Amino acid sequence: MASKTELSRRAVLGSSVALLLSRHAHASSEPASERAIHFGLTPVFLTSDLELLGRLQSYLQLTTGLPVNLVERRTYQEITAMLISGQLDAAWICGYPYVAHHRELQLVAVPLWHQKPLYQSYLIVDKARDAQTLADLRGDIHAFSDPDSNSGFLVTRAQLAAMDVRPENFFRRSIFTYGHRNVIRAVASGLAQSGSVDGYVYDVVANLEPALVSGTRVLSASEWLGFPPIAARKNPPDSQKLSLLKAALLDIHKTEEGRAVLAMLQLDGFASEQPSLYETIAAKAALVAAAG
Amino acid sequence: MTRLGKWPVTVKVPLAVAALMITVGVIVSEQVLRRLEETQTRFLSDLSQSYLDGLSSSITPALLREDNWEVYDAIDRAKTINRGLRATETIVTNADRFVIAASDPRIHPIGSQITATLPASKFSFEAGANTASAMRVLSYPGRTAGIIFATFDTRHLAAERRDVLWALTISNGVLTLTLALAGWFLVMRMMSPVRVLTDHLGAAQDGHADFIPSSDLSKTSGEFRRLFRSYNALVRSMRDREELAIRLAEEKRLGSLGRLASSLAHEINNPLGGLFNALSTLKSHGAIEHVRERSLALLERGLNGIKDTVRTTLTVYRSDSQSRPLEPSDIDDLKLLVAPEAKRRSIRIEMINGLVEKMPVPATPIRQAILNLLLNAIAASPDGATITLTTSSDEQLEIVVKDCGPGLPDWAAEVLTATNLTPPRSEGGLGLWTTSRLVVQLGGRISIRPAEPGTEILIHIPLTRPELASAA
Repeated sequence: MASKTELSRRAVLGSSVALLLSRHAHASSEPASERAIHFGLTPVFLTSDLELLGRLQSYLQLTTGLPVNLVERRTYQEITAMLISGQLDAAWICGYPYVAHHRELQLVAVPLWHQKPLYQSYLIVDKARDAQTLADLRGDIHAFSDPDSNSGFLVTRAQLAAMDVRPENFFRRSIFTYGHRNVIRAVASGLAQSGSVDGYVYDVVANLEPALVSGTRVLSASEWLGFPPIAARKNPPDSQKLSLLKAALLDIHKTEEGRAVLAMLQLDGFASEQPSLYETIAAKAALVAAAG
Repeated sequence: MTRLGKWPVTVKVPLAVAALMITVGVIVSEQVLRRLEETQTRFLSDLSQSYLDGLSSSITPALLREDNWEVYDAIDRAKTINRGLRATETIVTNADRFVIAASDPRIHPIGSQITATLPASKFSFEAGANTASAMRVLSYPGRTAGIIFATFDTRHLAAERRDVLWALTISNGVLTLTLALAGWFLVMRMMSPVRVLTDHLGAAQDGHADFIPSSDLSKTSGEFRRLFRSYNALVRSMRDREELAIRLAEEKRLGSLGRLASSLAHEINNPLGGLFNALSTLKSHGAIEHVRERSLALLERGLNGIKDTVRTTLTVYRSDSQSRPLEPSDIDDLKLLVAPEAKRRSIRIEMINGLVEKMPVPATPIRQAILNLLLNAIAASPDGATITLTTSSDEQLEIVVKDCGPGLPDWAAEVLTATNLTPPRSEGGLGLWTTSRLVVQLGGRISIRPAEPGTEILIHIPLTRPELASAA
């Protein structure tokens, strides 16, 4: 295990080549796709960072000993559908799809941010704008992340439902950017006057790209909510693969390579959490559903 | 054009070179700039079309869905990809020209309408302008999906154009200046023999024709050397002619001297017959008192007459080389000198001598000059006429000779009043030319005044101060 953790950065970056080779190695005994772990990712975090993806894949392959296939799609919906239909072994989804499909899904691991499995949703506006609350944003062009995102849609949607209004009536227009970073770009550029964004993503982007967020400010933050979890089907077709993946995630902070991945994600680790963590999100979903 | 014609060749040639170079420079610059503009326009047009092609293909599905974010993202990415084009503004609208997304949403927010008139062409760029614009209508059979308006920053192209213009202007300017200077230098060198010749000819016009020195001659070759030699030959022949004229004048003087000598002999001979008669009367009838006294008186008058004639002649030709002040008697003597000639023509000489004392002017040249004028007046006047000689002195000596002739011919007047010492063309004017020369040498001047009848010739001679006279 130690030799694995001491792998040089170059070897890690060459992981794509390693993946191809490993696929070839397995091709003789059984189809590589059957043994490979298919891990779905949503734009919940910085999917644009190819180095991060490479390192995550490399870490997971080395730790589980299985080829890992990172699957990306544009929307949460696609990933959720693939997960439920069994095309993915596990996926990093959002709390909202999780509570929406909690009967079919189980929690594999929940990321720890500032040592807690919690995050917030932010309402962001142009920095120069003189607005105090959500109510001041009436008539805006508002940028949401994804209709299946908790922080990027549900939280604001629920807040509006509490005010007994619907987004299409409250905002002049809503646009979906399918990415939290895109919400920040939309507000920073002026395309949208306000946006709903993942607080964790906003803070990470603020660290990595201060120039991008400098044109925006956080108008309000929601209460602390369950962090977007890694979920799998309740009845996985290959429970061994899932347990290998779960172990790899829960122990990620124990290896140097894993810590490097965490450092890039600016997370502290992964924890095993109870579904009750997402009750607040479930309540919001229920409120929205009731509002119709 | 006439003013230009007065400018020296050394100015005209460089100016012509400069004008030619400026014309060529302007034409060449204009061509270069036009080619540059064509290249820039083509380059920009191609680039903008490829930009619009790329953008069209990437936004069309999103445009049909009116997906604002996707369109914005595509614009943003296209801007990053096409950095060389410097797209400053890109606006994508739907068919009704409502904004779907723009590169700067703050200026063109979603849903705002673009009211600006459509550009006439799909691409417009004016040379030297800071922006270019392009548009593309995204249409499908029977349907307009949307319109892309794009504006590009072309300041770098304008700056490039300015740089080229500057480079052309400076290089053309330097070239023009250099060639004009070279032209000036060349013409100066080529014209230097002409200048030498011009200077010499100018001096010759003032009466001081000089040879072109051999140092200047050796500097030239070919036609200029031949020209210089011809000029020197001309000067030589001019000098020869001048010397000949002086010699002729001298000969004429000697001729008139001979004439004077013969008239003098005649003057002496006239009474001699009477005197010999008186002598023979004395020899044969000397004893008779009243005969003796009459004969002695006759002898005395005759000898006195001869004495006067001899004295006058002695005075005239006594001291040609010596400077002697003019005396009133010098004027009186002149009448005696011309008397035989006047008598021959029955011409009366009237003399009004206003001089009462010695004048500080040399006697010999003045007597010579007046003598010439009197002889000329006698020659010009008809038989039996009266010639008047008037002399007076005030600030200067004034001598007036008035004849009754038909008037002085133009050539004679020209010879007489000329201030240079060039000899006359015909030998007929030698006496007048000598007079003119004598007066000019004394610093005086001759003027001519028509009188009724005849002509008055006036000589004015400044009175020299003693020290100047002694210096002369």
